[in-house]
Amino acid sequence: MSTSHSKAAKEFLKDQKYAHWHDATFWAVRTKRDNMAYGLDEWEQLREKASAIKRHTITHLDEYLDQFATAAEKNGVEVHWAKDAQEFNEIVYDILKNHDVKKMVKSKSMLTEECGMNPYLEERGIEVVETDLGERIIQLKGQAPSHIVMPAIHLSHDDVGELFEEKGISNEKGNHDPTFLTYRARLSLRNEFLTADAGMTGANFGIAETGDIVVCTNEGNADMSTSCPKLHIAAIGLEKIIPNYECLAVFQRMLCRAGTGQPTTTYTSHFRKARPTAHHMHIVLVDNGRSEWIANPEHWESLKCIRCGSCMNTCPVYRRSGGYSYSYFIPGPIGINLGMLRDARKHSGNVSACTLCNSCQTVCPVKVNLGDQIYLWRQQLDDFGTANPQKKLMCKGMSMVYGSPGLYNFGTGLAHWANYVPSSLMDCGLNPWAEGHKMMEFPEKPFHEMVKELKN
Amino acid sequence: MASKEDILKRYRENVRERFDMPDLSDITAITYPAPLSQFISMTQAVGGNAIEVEKGHDVNVIIRELYPDAKEIASNLPEITIATRNPDEVSCAQDLNGTDVGIIRGEFGVAENACVWIPQAMKEKAVMFISENLIILLNKRQIVQNMHEAYQRISFNDDYGYGTFISGPSKTADIAQVLVMGAQAARSATILLLDE
Repeated sequence: MSTSHSKAAKEFLKDQKYAHWHDATFWAVRTKRDNMAYGLDEWEQLREKASAIKRHTITHLDEYLDQFATAAEKNGVEVHWAKDAQEFNEIVYDILKNHDVKKMVKSKSMLTEECGMNPYLEERGIEVVETDLGERIIQLKGQAPSHIVMPAIHLSHDDVGELFEEKGISNEKGNHDPTFLTYRARLSLRNEFLTADAGMTGANFGIAETGDIVVCTNEGNADMSTSCPKLHIAAIGLEKIIPNYECLAVFQRMLCRAGTGQPTTTYTSHFRKARPTAHHMHIVLVDNGRSEWIANPEHWESLKCIRCGSCMNTCPVYRRSGGYSYSYFIPGPIGINLGMLRDARKHSGNVSACTLCNSCQTVCPVKVNLGDQIYLWRQQLDDFGTANPQKKLMCKGMSMVYGSPGLYNFGTGLAHWANYVPSSLMDCGLNPWAEGHKMMEFPEKPFHEMVKELKN
Repeated sequence: MASKEDILKRYRENVRERFDMPDLSDITAITYPAPLSQFISMTQAVGGNAIEVEKGHDVNVIIRELYPDAKEIASNLPEITIATRNPDEVSCAQDLNGTDVGIIRGEFGVAENACVWIPQAMKEKAVMFISENLIILLNKRQIVQNMHEAYQRISFNDDYGYGTFISGPSKTADIAQVLVMGAQAARSATILLLDE
C-alpha cells in the first residue's frame, strides 16, 4: 500500500539520529517564524492583504506583464518571453553565445532548476557556477536541492568538510567547523565572481510599474554576481510580477519572516538597468505551464506562492521525511501541489505525504489553501489511474459498513475479540497498519453502548 | 516576440474569474515611539554595528580607530579623505577586490528591520559588496518606521538603475544551519549615525 513517497521516506528514516535532527531543525525555524509573526499585531492583516493582492495580480497577469515589459524596455532592458523550458534554455544560451560567455555565476533560482538550465548550458560548453553557498555545495556534490530555501540541509558539516577537501576548496583536513568552511567557500567563490563573464539571478518579485526586478538574499551573492561580470540575465516566472512598491512592501515584510524567521533578508536589491560599465540587462519571462494552470478552478491559487518555504518547515511529513522523498523538485506541501499541476500521473505518489493537518495553510503568508488542494487531488487519483487498488477496496468496504447502522453496531460489538488475536499474526507484513504503528486495543464495549448506559 | 503573443493569448483564454485589487490604505503597520533606538537595536540583532557620531567629530578618525590595520579603503564620498581607492575611477569592478573597508552613504534607515536604503551613487556598485568591511554613513534623523513608509520614499539616482536595502552583514546558515557572518559579501556592517 506504500506510495513512492512513503517508500523513499523509509530510506530517510533509516538514519534515526539525522531524522530527529532534521525534524527539530525545521521546527526551530517554524518557531522563529512564529516569534516574528507574533511580533507584529498586523501579521494576519498582512496575510489577508498579501493573499488578495496575489489573487488580483495573477488574475490580471496579461495587463501587469505587459506593463512590466514596457517599463523594463523603457529602462533599456531587453525582455524575452519563453513559453516553455526548452525555449527558456535556448534564449539564455543565445544571449551567452552572443557575448562569448565561457563562465556564468548565478544566484539561486528554482526556475532554472525547473527548466534544467544548468545541464543544458554545460552540455554546450558553458561553465555554470552556483554562488549561494547551499546551492554550490549540492552542485559540487552533484545533487538536487532538498529544500527551496535551505538546499543543502540534508548534508552535515562533516559531509561538507569532506566534500570541500575532495574538491580542493578546504586546505585543512579534518577541520569541519562551519565558520571555517564558509570562509573557504567565500575565497573560492570570490575567484569565480572575479573571472565570470556573466551573472544570472532569479527574481523574488518583478514590479510592473517600474520594471524593477527585486532579489532578496542573505549572502549577497546575487549582488556579487551582478557587480563584476559585464552581463546580467534575470530569469523570472510569470507569476512573480506584482503591481507596484505599495504591494512590494507587504511581501518584503512577510517573505523572510515567514521563511526563515528573520525580520528581513540582508539584501533586498532592486535591479532596474545595467550598471554603466556593463552590457544591457536581459530579463527572461518564463511561462512553462503557468498560463495553463490559471485555468484550473481548484488549483490556480498555487500560483500565489512566493517560495518562502514556510509550508515545508512546518509540515510534519516533510520534517520527518526530507526533501528527497518527494518526486517533484520542489518538496513539501507547495511542491506536492505544483508537481500535480506539472504532471499528475508522474507525481501523484506525493499526495499521500500529507496528514491533512493544514498547518501549511495556517502559516502560508499568502494563504494558499495547500492542504485543501492536496485533499482535492486525492479525490482525482482514480482519474489519473494512480489510485491504490487495496485502498479502493478498503474504502468500498468502509462505506458499506458506515452506510448501514446494523452492520456497524454488529462490527463494533465484536471488535474486542480482535484483541485476542496473537500479535505475531496482527503485526505481520499482511497487515499494512502494523507497519510503524502499534495495533490499537479495542474496548470491550463500543462507544454507542457506553453512551446509552450513561443516559440510563 | 511570437512567444509573447502566444503566452498572453493563452493566458487570456484560460483565466477565469478576475479579482479586484484590495485596499491597502488601512494596513495598521507597526510604529515605534523611538525609531532611532529601535533601528540601533535591530541593527545589532541582525549582526551589524551602529555608532552614534557626535557633531563635529571627523568620521575619518572614527573609521581609522575602528580599522587601524586597514590598508585599502574605497569610497567616492567627498567627506572621506582616507580613501585609497575610488569606485568611480577604477578601470573595472574587479579592481575593487581586496578592499578592507568600503564606505558608502545611505539615504534612510528602517526601524522595523534595520534596512538602510542605498541607491547606487558610484560607477562600480561592487564596493558595497566586495569590501571585507562595510561602513554606511547615515543621517540619524532619517529613520522611517516600517517598509510601507520606506517604499513610499525610495528613489534612484538619475545616472544609475540600481538600489538596495542592506540590513547587517552578509550571512549564511547553509552549512548545518549554523549562522556564519560573512558569506559572499561584506563580513561586517557598521552604520555611522551622523548628527547632520
